[in-house]
This record gives sequence, C-alpha cells and structure tokens, in this order.
Amino acid sequence: MPPEIRVEGLSVWYDRHHALKQVSLEVAPGEVLALIGPSGCGKSTFLRTLNRLLEEGGRARISGRVFLGDADIYDAAADIPDLRRRVGMVFQAPNPFPFSIFDNVAYGPRLQGVTDRQALRRIVERSLQQAALWDEVRGKLRRSALTLSGGQQQRLCIARALAVEPEVLLMDEPTASLDPMSTTKIEELVAALRGRYTIVMVTHNLRQAARISDRTAFFAEGTLIEVGPTRQMFTAPLDPRTEQYLTGRYES
Amino acid sequence: MKRGMVWHRVAAVLFAIAAAGFALILGSVLWAGLPDLTWHFLASWPNERTGGGGILPELINTGVMVGLTLVITAPLGLAVAVYRREYRMRRAATLNHLRATLLSAPTIVVGLVVYRVAVGWWHWPVSLLTGCLALAVINWPFMVTVAGEALEGVPQGYREASLALGASRWQTIRRVVIPASLAQLVEGLGMAAARLAGESAALIVTAGVNVSRHWSFWAPGETLAVHIWYIRTEGLVLNRDAAAAATGVTLMVLIAVVLWLSRRIARWLE
Amino acid sequence: MRDWTHGGLARGLLAATALIFLVAGLGLVAALFLGAWRFLGEPSALSNLFGDFWDPLRNRYGVLPFIVGSVVVTLGALVMAVPLALGVAVTLAEQRTAGMKDFAVRALTVLTAVPSVIFGWWGLQMVVPWVRARVGGPGFSLLAAGIVLALMVLPTFSLFFFQSLERVPQSLREGSAALGATPDQTLWRVAFRAAMPGLTNGLLVGVARALGETMAVQMVIGGQTALPSSLTSPGATLTTQIITDMTVFPPGTRGHAVLDIMALLLMLGMYVLVRLAERWGSVS
Repeated sequence: MPPEIRVEGLSVWYDRHHALKQVSLEVAPGEVLALIGPSGCGKSTFLRTLNRLLEEGGRARISGRVFLGDADIYDAAADIPDLRRRVGMVFQAPNPFPFSIFDNVAYGPRLQGVTDRQALRRIVERSLQQAALWDEVRGKLRRSALTLSGGQQQRLCIARALAVEPEVLLMDEPTASLDPMSTTKIEELVAALRGRYTIVMVTHNLRQAARISDRTAFFAEGTLIEVGPTRQMFTAPLDPRTEQYLTGRYES
Repeated sequence: MKRGMVWHRVAAVLFAIAAAGFALILGSVLWAGLPDLTWHFLASWPNERTGGGGILPELINTGVMVGLTLVITAPLGLAVAVYRREYRMRRAATLNHLRATLLSAPTIVVGLVVYRVAVGWWHWPVSLLTGCLALAVINWPFMVTVAGEALEGVPQGYREASLALGASRWQTIRRVVIPASLAQLVEGLGMAAARLAGESAALIVTAGVNVSRHWSFWAPGETLAVHIWYIRTEGLVLNRDAAAAATGVTLMVLIAVVLWLSRRIARWLE
Repeated sequence: MRDWTHGGLARGLLAATALIFLVAGLGLVAALFLGAWRFLGEPSALSNLFGDFWDPLRNRYGVLPFIVGSVVVTLGALVMAVPLALGVAVTLAEQRTAGMKDFAVRALTVLTAVPSVIFGWWGLQMVVPWVRARVGGPGFSLLAAGIVLALMVLPTFSLFFFQSLERVPQSLREGSAALGATPDQTLWRVAFRAAMPGLTNGLLVGVARALGETMAVQMVIGGQTALPSSLTSPGATLTTQIITDMTVFPPGTRGHAVLDIMALLLMLGMYVLVRLAERWGSVS
C-alpha cells in the first residue's frame, strides 16, 4: 500500500519572492491528485518540495513540514537520495539520458548497486511493460533513447521512474510538450497506475485533470485556494476564484 | 550534510591546487619583476653584450609586428571564413581539416618553413618583416577560426530575413552578417593579438634575438617574449632573472590590456 | 544595382583568398616534404632515422630520443593536468550564479593567453631547482618539462572541460537526482558521460597544444639528445630539437632535412588529432 503525504504549513521563498504561502494539504494513499492553477502560482514549486528537488537549484528557502507516511522528509537526519528513490518524478519535457533505452531504465537500479544482468533485464522489461512502451521498443533496447519520439521518450522516463519501485509518483505537466495521441497514452497509463502509487500531477489542462484525477487542488499566487474531490470541484467549487479560473475569467 | 559529495570535495581540492599553482607562477613573476620595472627600464635601449638594460625597442617591435600581422591577416581570415560559411564552397571539408591542422601546428614548424622559404629561397634577412611573415602564417588559421565562430553566432533568421527582402548574398553579408558578428570579431582579434604577443619559438629563428641601433623593417626585431627567453637562457647580465621577470610583467600587462580593451570595444559594439 | 555587380567581384575575391589559403597551407607541408626529400631519398634512410642515436657528426640521425621525449613529456603533462582540470571544471560548474561562471570563463581565457616563456621562466626559477634538490642531477629533465607543460595546458583543459560540462542540460542532472542519485553519482554517471564528446574534444586540443609547445619545454628539458634513461634525466622533444638545431644546420644540409622530417612527423600527429577530434569529439 503506498503511503499518504501530509503537508503542514509549507512556505517557500526565492530570495525575497514568497512563492508558496503556508500550504497544508493531504494526499491519500493511492489516489491521483491534480494540481491546477495559473502560471507561476506555485504548483510546480509545491511538487518539487515533495522530493526535495527544489534544493538542487540552490536559491530556495523552505519552511514547514512534509510527512511521507510517518517520517518528516525535511528532518535534519533525512536521507535525500533515499527519499527520491521512494518518490519518483516525471518532468514537463521528456529528459531521457543520452544513453541507450536499456541504460536509461536500468539507471536507477544500478545506482542502488544492482549489477546482475539477468536481474536488470527483468527490471527493465517489467518497467517498460508498466509504462506501455515494451511492445514498441522490444528488441531495440540498445538504441539511443534519443531516437524515440517525444511521447515514447516521456513513457521511457516514466518507465525509468518506475524501475526504482517508488511509492509516490510526481508528474510535472507530463503531457505539456506532447501531441494529442501521446497525451492519451500517458493519461491511460496514469489511470492504470492509480491505486498502486500515490500520484501528484501538475497540469495546465483542466479537462485532463477532470478526466484522470480523484481530487484536485487549486493554487493561485502561492496559496492553496481549495482542494476537494474533482467532480465536486468542477461542478460546484467553494471559492469564487476557483470558479473564475475554471470558467476562464480568473486574473491574477 | 548531503551524502555522496566525496568526489565534489576532491574536485574542490584539485581546484585549490590548480589555483595555487597559478598564483605561484604569476606571483613569482610579479615578485621578481616588479622591483626592476622602472621607467628607465621601459624607455631605454638594451645592452648589446650582456643582454641587460632597457626594453624600449622590444616593446616597439612587439607592437609593430603584432599590429602589422593583424592588419594583414584579419581581412584574409575573415574572407576565408565568409567564403566557407556564406557561400556553398566545394572542398569545404578539406579546408576545414587544413585549418584545424594548421591551427594546432607547432609554431616552430611554421618558423622552420618560413626560414627556409623567406631566408633560404628569397634571401630575406632575419628581420622584423620575416618575423611578421611567420606571425601571419601562424595567425591566419586562427583568424579563420575565430571569424568562423563569429559568423556561426549570427542567427540564420537574420540572413533569411535579409534575403527575403530582396538583398543579394553579398549585400546580406556586408550589411547584416558582418555587422551582427562585429563584436565577436573584435574579441577574436584581441585573442589573436594576445596570442601573437606571446609568440616566441617561430620568432627566434625568423626575427632574431637582438635589436639594431637603427630601427628598420629589415633589421633584426626581437620581441618582448623572445627577449625573456634570450636573457634568461643566454644572457650574461647579473640580474637576468629579474630583468626577464620585469619584461614578463610588461608583456603580461600588455596582453591583459589588449584583452580588456577588445572586450570593452566588443561590449560597446553589442 | 551597384551591389549586384560588386557581389560577383566580392565573391571572386573571397574565393581567391580561400584558394590562396588552401595553397599556402598545403604549400607549407610541401615545403617540408621538399626539404625532407634530401634525406628520405637516401638508401637506408628509415633505419637511420628510427635509430635511437643522434650524432650528426658521425652521420647518425636517430630521432627516436625526440619522439620518446615528446610522448613522455606530453603524457606526463596530461597525467598531472587532466585531473586538476577536471577538478577546476567540476568546481566551477557547481557555481550557481551566472556572474561567477562568466568570470571564470574570462579568467581561464586570459590564462590561456599567458605566453609560454613565462612558464619557462617559472620552470627555471622553481621547478628545475626543485627537481635538482629532490632527485639530484642537473634538474633539467623530462619531469621538469612535464610539470611546466602541465601548468601551461591546464587553463586550456579547464576551459574546454568546463564548457562541455555546462552544455549538459540541467534537466538531465535533475532527472538523475530525482531517481535517487547522490551528487557524485550524477556527476560520474550522467554529467561526465553526457559530456564525453566535449571532454574528448578538449582532451585532444590540449594534447595538440602540449605536443606542439616549444619554448616552455626547451627552457627546462636540458636538451640532451640521447635516449633518456628516466623521468628525471634530461632529454629533448621534437619541437625543442628543431629549434636547437635549426641554426646549427642551415637549409640544404642533411641535418636540416632531418629537422624537416621531424616537423612532418609533428604535422602528421596534429592531423591525426584533428581527425580523431572530428570523429569522437563532435559536439552535437
């Protein structure tokens, strides 16, 4: 059973800019939570606090607490690489390494010291199957990942994330740079993964959020405006700003 | 503390060693050279027998030879680069291999050939002008390279926009491409000047290791860099370390000023 | 309309200049061949040439000591300079502000322009006495030349390595970190690997620079023409021997012809490096 995520009073500053203001939120085990909101509202920043990737940039200051299961991931003793193994991430633009398809998927397991070829092969095959890419790349695993199409690359990145057997999957607008066909495939994939992973997904596409998420959170200007079941959110939002945004009249 | 930073620490240590090495080199040159770097040193003639004394003619020779070489090779280099980049040239790959090979050719090899051709066949004396010829051969491929990079930096859209307005290829080059790459060209020119001012191997055999009482293009034209080598390895003067170092400081200041100036001009052009 | 006719003229001039460049470049090599032919045409020229003994008075023109000298000094410089340059490049690439990186590039560019005689001066001042104090002997040695050369090519290596690491997209580093890689793992398994063409290119450019360097090496290597017996014994390289003997053997003599052959060997080496850089180091 995947863990739940509990965020308490999370704030982020970039230099002076207060990018995320006192966000508190819970994600239930195995659900798909969609994050929506206008550009620059802090939803991507929020996503990147969940695997502490925000700190790689170096400029951000973070306060508040984030629990993954029972453990506070911002605890001083927390092991960041181990956290990121448990929390996989898929990025806005596909970012396969310029290696072979096999090496891309095997990258995570190899980091953890798996060297046995048979074991690696099993992991790669299973991950590619989970990411619905296996049928398209079977027998071509030695080819460079850069020869794949954009949609295939993104599914490869999902396979790469799944290969380390995470419990949570973070997706940062995973279909933003893809064509409609590829987008549909990714959406079907997310639907298939629901329940096995706790999924948090940023999206600009409101209909996508409506299609695949269990609950939706609406951010604006660094604040969490409201969060609730997707169906209710899209039919009867509680906050007038949410309604304005959903009907395309929101101005920040 | 983050885990898995061992190699980053090793890198930081290596960085510190490298920085210390360069501090040691530059520091020791400054330390040994600054006390001897007087107005008199810069403005007087060297002593013919011992190699000591001032460096005025070397200073002049360096300026004249570098300047003359750049005046000759800058347009030639730009021309080759323009033809290669802007026109559909046959044998472009051959030209590129030749350019890259000549660019990395040891300068002493250039000196060897110029010595044979200019001194041996044409009976030029070992002189300032022969040295300029050697510098020109050294610098031409460098100018082709920096000009090529500058042209490469001009967005293709500029060319297409100009051609779409009915400009000819040559008009596009003259009015759009070269003006747009001017800043980078100037910076490349500065790098070339710095490179040439520091050249010594080819000049020792083509321009000579002494200076004449009567300055002329056909008289031996020792440069600052050659002077450093000469007094430090062949000189008889007592304080030859310090004199060489003082010359070295002069040369490095000259190079730094040239690089700084070219960058300022490039900035201004941008 | 004027410019249209000018266009034809300009194009002709440019083409002529490019042609002259080609002819001059090939002519340079041809001149070397012409000079070298006087020796290469002799019977048993090759066995004489690749002997390990250089004594023109006794008609022995073995260039092996110089080839060995060039290779050893260059390798020695690489062994010292490459790790240092990687350290510099990695440390600079870690810097997060653009201003800092810009400054680093400018500083490295200036350092690549430091003249070789400055390094030679420093070698005479510090490295040669140090070797003499440490291992005895004259101090002028392959080791001293290697150390001086290492410092000399260090900025070149650092600049190329840094720039190729900078070209690795940030998204790849993030992708690696998000999979649970430690900074070291990301460095070795993604950054270095993705930057490999650029690193190779920089390496080859640095090798060319080290192999072709003359003065800095000449000042500290000692100029001994016998096959060097150890790293700390004096020696000579192809380039230093050319400059030492050029005035001894005027053009037309057999000795000068051998210098031409040595120059040809160097040019051949440079051409090979250029082709290798094209094959392995093309930055796509």
